[in-house]
Order: sequence, then C-alpha cells, then structure tokens
Amino acid sequence: MYDIERALQSFHSLKLGDIMPSIPSMPVVTADTPILSVLKILKTRHHVWVVEDKESMKLKGVIRYLDVMDILLPPDAHKFKLGMTSTTMRSILAGAEKAGDVAERDVLAIEADATVLDALIKMKRYRTQVLAVVDGERLVGEVSLRILINEFLRLLRVGDVKWAQHGSSSQSESP
Amino acid sequence: MGATWLLFTIGISLILAKIGDSIIERFELPGVLGELLMGMLLGNLVYFGIVAPQYLPIVSGQGFETTAAEISDFLAKLGIIFLLFLGALDTDVEQLKKTGLTATVSTVLGVFVPLILGWYALMAMGYPSREAFAGGVLLTATSIGLTVRVMMDLGVLRSEVGAASLSASVMDDFLGIALIIFAVGSGSLLDLSLKIVAFFIITGVLGWYLIDYYIRFAERLHVEKGVLGMAVGMMFLFAALAEGWFAAAIEGAFMMGLILSKLPEGKRIMEDVRAIGYGLLVPFFFVHTGAMLNFRVFGNGDAITLAVVLSVIAIVGKVLGRGFGAWITAWGRGRDFLFTKENFWMSLQMGIGSIPRTEVALVNLMVAIHGGAIPQEDAQKFIAATLIFITVSVLITPPLLKWAFKRDIESTIAEKVETRKSQISERKKMVVQQKKGIRSKLLR
Repeated sequence: MYDIERALQSFHSLKLGDIMPSIPSMPVVTADTPILSVLKILKTRHHVWVVEDKESMKLKGVIRYLDVMDILLPPDAHKFKLGMTSTTMRSILAGAEKAGDVAERDVLAIEADATVLDALIKMKRYRTQVLAVVDGERLVGEVSLRILINEFLRLLRVGDVKWAQHGSSSQSESP
Repeated sequence: MGATWLLFTIGISLILAKIGDSIIERFELPGVLGELLMGMLLGNLVYFGIVAPQYLPIVSGQGFETTAAEISDFLAKLGIIFLLFLGALDTDVEQLKKTGLTATVSTVLGVFVPLILGWYALMAMGYPSREAFAGGVLLTATSIGLTVRVMMDLGVLRSEVGAASLSASVMDDFLGIALIIFAVGSGSLLDLSLKIVAFFIITGVLGWYLIDYYIRFAERLHVEKGVLGMAVGMMFLFAALAEGWFAAAIEGAFMMGLILSKLPEGKRIMEDVRAIGYGLLVPFFFVHTGAMLNFRVFGNGDAITLAVVLSVIAIVGKVLGRGFGAWITAWGRGRDFLFTKENFWMSLQMGIGSIPRTEVALVNLMVAIHGGAIPQEDAQKFIAATLIFITVSVLITPPLLKWAFKRDIESTIAEKVETRKSQISERKKMVVQQKKGIRSKLLR
C-alpha cells in the first residue's frame, strides 16, 4: 500500500512533457485527409488529431471515437433545433468528406509543463479521456488515460529508487 | 394545493411535449410544432372550461392569474433564456468569420426586406408603429434546421448555395435577436443606442477578453459542476442586465453563450446546459407558448387577416430579400455572371432556403409580448398569426426547395450517368485488351 501511495505521489508530480509520446507515434492527419482514411485509423485508435499541415502542426481539431456516430448517422437521426445543429454537419450524408469537415474544433488542451495531476483534474472536470499537449497553437503531444495508466504501472515496476528519474517508456494510445 | 397542480402541469407538459415532438418528427417536420400543438391542446382545455385553471396552471393572463400560473410563466421565460444560451454556445464563431460577401449581403437584405415590409403592412392595417415594428421583427430570423434536412436529402448541403444558406441563417438569427431590442426597449433612440453600446462593451468586449480568466477561476474552485454553475450564473447576470435595460433578457443569455463558445471548456458544458434546456425548460417554453393560443381568437377575422399578411410577407419578403442579396453579388463571379440563368436559380434557391421560421420567431414574439411591444389585447392575434405563418413556412419549404434544386439534381444525375457510362466503356476496352493479350500469349 505504501509503495502505491509513494508511486501515486511521484506519478502526480510528473511533467506531461516527460511522459507524452512522440508525434510520429501519434494518430495525426491533416485537415484534407479523406474521412475514410480517418475511419481506418479509428479502427485501432480512440481519436485522431487534425492539424493544418505536418510542418506547422497547427492544431485544427480532434476526431474522437464517439464522433463516428455523428459521421455515420442518417439524416433523420439528426435533430435540428437551435443549439443542436453543430453535429449535423459532421455527417457523411451532409456532405462531409475530409477530416477537417468532421473534426471538433474546440480541443481541450494542456501545456507540456503541466503535471499529471493537472491533466487528471482537467480530464475529470470535462469528462474526457484525452488532452492535446500544445505549445501555443502547435500540437506537441498528447496525454490520454491509457498513457497515464501505463506510466503509473511503469512507476510501480521501476520501484522507489528510480522514481525520481522520470524517463518515459509509454507509447501513444491504442486500444 | 398550488404546488401539487403546478408540478402536475410541468410533468404532463414535458411528457406531452416529447410525444408531440416525436409524432411530428415522423412527418419530417420540426418537432417544435408538435410541442406547440400539445400546448394548444392543454391551454384550450382551460379556455373552453373543460379543466379548471387551478388544475392546469399553464396559461397566464386572460383572467387566469394565479401564483402557479406566474411560476409557469417564469419557467417558460427561463426556457427562452436557455434556448438562446444554447443556440449561441453551439455557434462556431471561427466559421462565421469566414462568411463570404454573398452570405453577408443576402443576410442583411433577407432580414431588412421582410422587416420593413411587415412594419409598413401592419401600420397600414392600423397597428401603432412600435407594435408593427415588433411584427416585422418576427419575420426576420430563419430557422435553418428544416432547410438543412431537405438540402441534406437532396445532397446539396455542401454546395455553394448550401454553405451560404447556413452562414446567412446563423447571421440572421443574430440580427433577428438584436433587432427585438428596438421593439421592446424604452426611452429615446439616443438613450437606447447608448445603452446598447454600453451593453455590448460590458458583455461583448470585456466578456470576450476576460472569459478565459473567469473560467480558470471557476476551475480553481474545485467544486462539483463549478464551471457549469459559474457560467450559468454569469449568463443570468448578463440576462438581468439586458432585462433591466431593454426588457430582453435573451440578449444577455445570447451574448454569454457566444462568449463561452470561443473556449473548448465552454463547449464542454454544452451537454450539461442541453440537459437542463432540452430536458426541462425549452420544451416547457414551447408547450407554454402553444397554450397561450385560445382557439376562440379564430372567431375574430382580424387574427386570420394578420396571419395571411404575415405569412405572405414572411415568404415573399425572405425570398425577395435574400434572393436579391445573393443575386446582386453574382456569387463573387463578376458582372458576366449577373444576368445568367445560373445566378438566378442559385439566388432563388438561397431565397427559398430561408423561408422556414420557428424558434427565433417564437422567442421574439414572447419577448415582444412580455416587453409590452405587443399589447395584451393584441397578443392572442399575434400568437395565432405567428403560429400560422410558422406552420405555413415549414410546410411549403420542402416542396419549393425540391422544385428549385430539381434542375441541379437532374444535371448531377446526368453527369453521374455519363461518368458511369464512360467508366463501363473503359472497362470494356480493358477487358477486350486483356483478352487479346491472353489470346496472343496462348497462340505463342
């Protein structure tokens, strides 16, 4: 029990920059990527980041696993009322063709120097399992519950001697 | 006793609202019509003496003033506030900034042509200027939902006309909601203008720049639903300011929604706000609005005349205003495109797509009645006329849109058929070539 408590304390103070995966291992597409390619990625991932281009990595949005419902639903399943229209445009039947058409533009983000505890609080507050790690408008990484679980288990394995050395061994999220 | 029947009324209203919504949706019409119909049913049980008013306190005014009725009236007002807050929260401000010239010009003309036509027509019918102006404002805002659905069915939603229609409808909601201030606001025009400027500085400019810090502060409180509570709290403060200055609380709610919509954190509370809004307050508002219509008003020819006038202006004014606005810009393709058939049809499609009215017309109607722009003695007539022009507008839009897009769809189908034919002939050629290749290999 004592070990777990110490591991948790150490875990909470970890900087996200130290545990986030590298960009090449993350599911990132550009805004003009066809939806079908996005759906293929979502077969094995829980989300896809949408960036303007791979050079600037300017974050344009995110397509989450649950968004697939809006993409695939027929028109009569969409409700059109004031304040209930944004999901409609994500439907393939509404003419959405590219990743940029279906991405949620308002992405919950956190900075790389925030701690794991900050990320967990934000995830709980907004009921989300993944946050973009950003530097201004630039996507520099991600933090997901899967990454956090892996990191916590790694800390337990490594033991108290190495807890002060926060090297990352985690991989990008995949189910 | 009062609380028992108020709770009963809220319960029965919500259940009937959802059933009515579901039934009407099956006919591919806006569910709000079903909620209004259920309200009419409940209200007229009281008006025709079938149920005593104290057992169904859904109607207020007209000699039915009770504490329970006042509370249900207030709940309906909260419904309007949440409806507008949600509408603004769902707005994609970044997308709106990309709105082109065609959408902008057609929005402005699409709002002001029916407004001015309605205003002058009602004045010609003998209504005072303020009341006539309020009547004109009812005709300004388009409800894009039905158009989106029909365009989606026709496969033209992502076309140039579809995209411009969407942007224009979001903007004309803004204008329609803003214009009602001039109908219900009191004092001189200068006084009102100063208040409007001050209101937009306080809520808009300050809110826009300070909202980030406010939400961070709310996050640091670390309490259950802290961000939601603080956001809704601020929304009510904005609403109170707008109610105090213009008798239009919706303006405050709408501004707070817009300001919050720029933050991802703001968008995240939308589901919670939607649960409160569409789970309780908004359907209650629609049922309450329907319940305000006493069928006896149809015994009076004035209501029918008003309904006919408003319906005609609602349709003709929008098609002319928005259509002409789109036509005159020639869709950004220069003068050569101005007098082409394509420009005419695209502009007509744009105009027809803007005919439907629902939520914002009802919201403006209620604000105008509560704010005194439409006096109580005329309220019944305006409620009847508004419900009729809303119904007419949503019924005629789908067939008109299908007619307007018919030639586009036919040409698209013809194009597809041609493409398919050429694909088939290419495949045939390939197969023949492959066969030749196999034969020559075999011969060798």
